[in-house]
Amino acid sequence: MNFYSTELGAMLVVVLVGFLPNELWRLLGVLFGRRIDENSVWMQWVKAVAAALLAAVVARLLLVPSGALVGLPLWLRIGAVASGIAGFLLLRRSVLAGVLTAEAVLVLGGWWLGV
Amino acid sequence: MGIESIIMHAIPDPPVPVPVRPAQCFARGLLGALSVPGFVLVATFVGFGGLLHDLSFPLGAGLLSTLLVWALPAQVILIGGLAAGAPLPALAVAVCLSGVRLMPMVVSLMPLMRGPRPRLSTELLCAHFVAVTLWVEGFRLLPKVAPEGRPAYACGLGSGLIALSMAGTAIGFYLTHTLPGPFAIALLLLTPISFTILLVRNAREPVDWLAIVLGAGMSPLAVNAPGGLDLFWAGVGGGTLAFLIARYMPRRRT
Repeated sequence: MNFYSTELGAMLVVVLVGFLPNELWRLLGVLFGRRIDENSVWMQWVKAVAAALLAAVVARLLLVPSGALVGLPLWLRIGAVASGIAGFLLLRRSVLAGVLTAEAVLVLGGWWLGV
Repeated sequence: MGIESIIMHAIPDPPVPVPVRPAQCFARGLLGALSVPGFVLVATFVGFGGLLHDLSFPLGAGLLSTLLVWALPAQVILIGGLAAGAPLPALAVAVCLSGVRLMPMVVSLMPLMRGPRPRLSTELLCAHFVAVTLWVEGFRLLPKVAPEGRPAYACGLGSGLIALSMAGTAIGFYLTHTLPGPFAIALLLLTPISFTILLVRNAREPVDWLAIVLGAGMSPLAVNAPGGLDLFWAGVGGGTLAFLIARYMPRRRT
């Protein structure tokens, strides 16, 4: 049992580890405004790290799943995401179309496998 | 037109500006949240609520994270990291790195949000609502609002989106485990699916594609990294590698 499995401990973690480190960037955005050069080398590195971090989170959720997702075969998880990307690129770069394609593949696949 | 302007000048009306009532603008902003991007957002937060339940994270703290963090990637990193047993300082660094993209969003949208008489407190409040959806919708909706009413409108729009998302979080938390199998799984995978598609949508230059591929590719390799720092290494390592390759490879070729 960790202390964040209680409601109050979890709220404290959300404020200290979630809210403050994240809100920092909104604060800096207000304070520095236009003085930040979006194309500076520093910002390019920061953006690359942010994208890689998000991709790593997604990959972790897909490849090392927990809870109910464990029952789903890896090929279906990857196939659903891949079909979502394909749907997005083919259907006029619509995020909604991509999400719906992936979800349709997932629900049909899960239903077919009897998950 | 000439005659009208002459008449306008001939009758010296006291300069009564069209009254822009903040409460009215706030309410219009709230209604503006009821749009297609708003509903897509709610659906992804239903997925987040399901994830909370799946990782047995308390709902109250999950709702608080939607209200205060208000950035789904950071929330997923936080909750997923806690479930994986990552140390808190490493999680704070990971959350901090994931929030970097908010700064250019705030910088670019603020001229539309701050109105004619900017105050720091108003700007900080407006900035809190900035996330991908408000950023996209702000550029679409705010130019149609009178400048005096824009801070109130932006706050209304942001509050509406957050309220919808908190409702979505709670619905997902209670709904996911009552749904038949395939639909529960579809809900749980909604977050990774929408993140992947948003990453692909935002990728324009080689460095973006390299960062996605290297970040995702290094994640399984780093799973057993000591101290639960796997996300940190995959993100910082993959991102730095992508940055270096994109920056120095073309130079070597030419």
